[in-house]
Amino acid sequence: MTKSEFLLKLADELKKNNIADADDIISEYEQHFAFKMADGFTEEEIAAKLGNPEYLASQFENTCEDKKSGGKKAASVIGLCIIDIFAGTFFLLLMAWELIMAAFSICSLVVAVCLLGRINPRSLIPPMPYLPGVVFGLSLAALSILSVTGCIYFAAFMRQLMRSYSRFHQNTIAAASGGAVLPSIGIYPRLPAIINRRIRTVAMFSLVLFTTCFVLGMALSMIISGSLEFWHAWGWFGYNSVN
Amino acid sequence: MNIQYKKGVLELCVLSLLKKHDCYGYEISEYLSNHIDIADGTVYPILRKLRSEGLLTTYMQEESGGPPRKYYTLTKLGREVYEKERAEYLDFAKRVEILLEDDDNDKK
Repeated sequence: MTKSEFLLKLADELKKNNIADADDIISEYEQHFAFKMADGFTEEEIAAKLGNPEYLASQFENTCEDKKSGGKKAASVIGLCIIDIFAGTFFLLLMAWELIMAAFSICSLVVAVCLLGRINPRSLIPPMPYLPGVVFGLSLAALSILSVTGCIYFAAFMRQLMRSYSRFHQNTIAAASGGAVLPSIGIYPRLPAIINRRIRTVAMFSLVLFTTCFVLGMALSMIISGSLEFWHAWGWFGYNSVN
Repeated sequence: MNIQYKKGVLELCVLSLLKKHDCYGYEISEYLSNHIDIADGTVYPILRKLRSEGLLTTYMQEESGGPPRKYYTLTKLGREVYEKERAEYLDFAKRVEILLEDDDNDKK
C-alpha cells in the first residue's frame, strides 16, 4: 500500500465511523510517513508497519453516538441561546472598552505631539510655558504607550475569552447530542514568553516615565507660576488670574 | 499478546514517557514500538483518547528546517492520573506475578 492509498483508506474509514477532526488525525499519520521516509523507509514498508487502516480507524473512539434524546438537545440549545444573549452583550461591552482605550491612546498621543511641537489648534490646550509643556507632553506620550500595551493585552484576553466561550458552546451542544467533548480552554491568554516579557517591560517603562514626568510637570508648573494652584495663575478652566 | 490486553497498559506507558519530557507524535510511536511489539499506527488513537479525556494537551513548535511539530504535554490532571494509575498497576502486576509464579511451583 502506498502512502496516498493508506491515507485515503484511513480518511474513508474515519468518515464512515463518524470521527470528528479526521483532518487532524490524517495529518498525524502524514507526519509519521514524512519522518519514516526521511529515515529511508519505503512507503510500503511504513504503511505495513503502521497497521491496517480499517483497524486503526476503528480504534479512534467513536464518541458520536446516536442521539440520546432530542428533547435534551432542544433544551440545551434554548438554554445556550439565552446565555448567548447575555454573553453577546458582555462581549460588546468588552469591545466598547477596547475602543475607548484605543481612542484614549490616540488622544494622549495627539495632545503630547501638540505640547512638544508647540501646536495649539484653536487654543484647545490650556496655555502654559514651554518647559512644563514639554514635560507634560512626555508624560502623555508615555501614557499613550501604556494605554497601547493595555489595548494589546486586553485584545488578547478578549480573543481568548471568546475562544473559551465558543469551546464551551461546542461542548455543550456536543454533550447534549452525544458528540465528542473537547477539553475546555482557559480564559487567560497564553502569549509567547518573549512577547509577554516585552509587553511587561514596555508597560513598566512607560508607567515609570508617565509618573515621573507628571509629578515633575506639576512641580515645575508650581515653581514657574509661583502658585500651588498654577491653573488659577495661568487662567485655566475659565478662571481669571486677576480675580 | 492480545492487543486489547495491551491497550490500557500502553496508555500508562505514554503517560510515563510524557512525564519525562514533551514529545511529538512520531517520537512516542517510535519509543513504544521499540520497546513493545505493536503496530506503529496504534499510538495515535491512544494519544487522541488521552487528549479528549483531558490528560494531555498539544502545542505547535517550530523546528529548524521543517514544518512545525505538534508536541504533546501532560496536563495537571494527566500527572495526577498517571501517578495514581502507576501505583495501581505496579501493585496489580506484583500480585499477578505472585499468582503466576505460584502456578510454576505447583508444576514442579
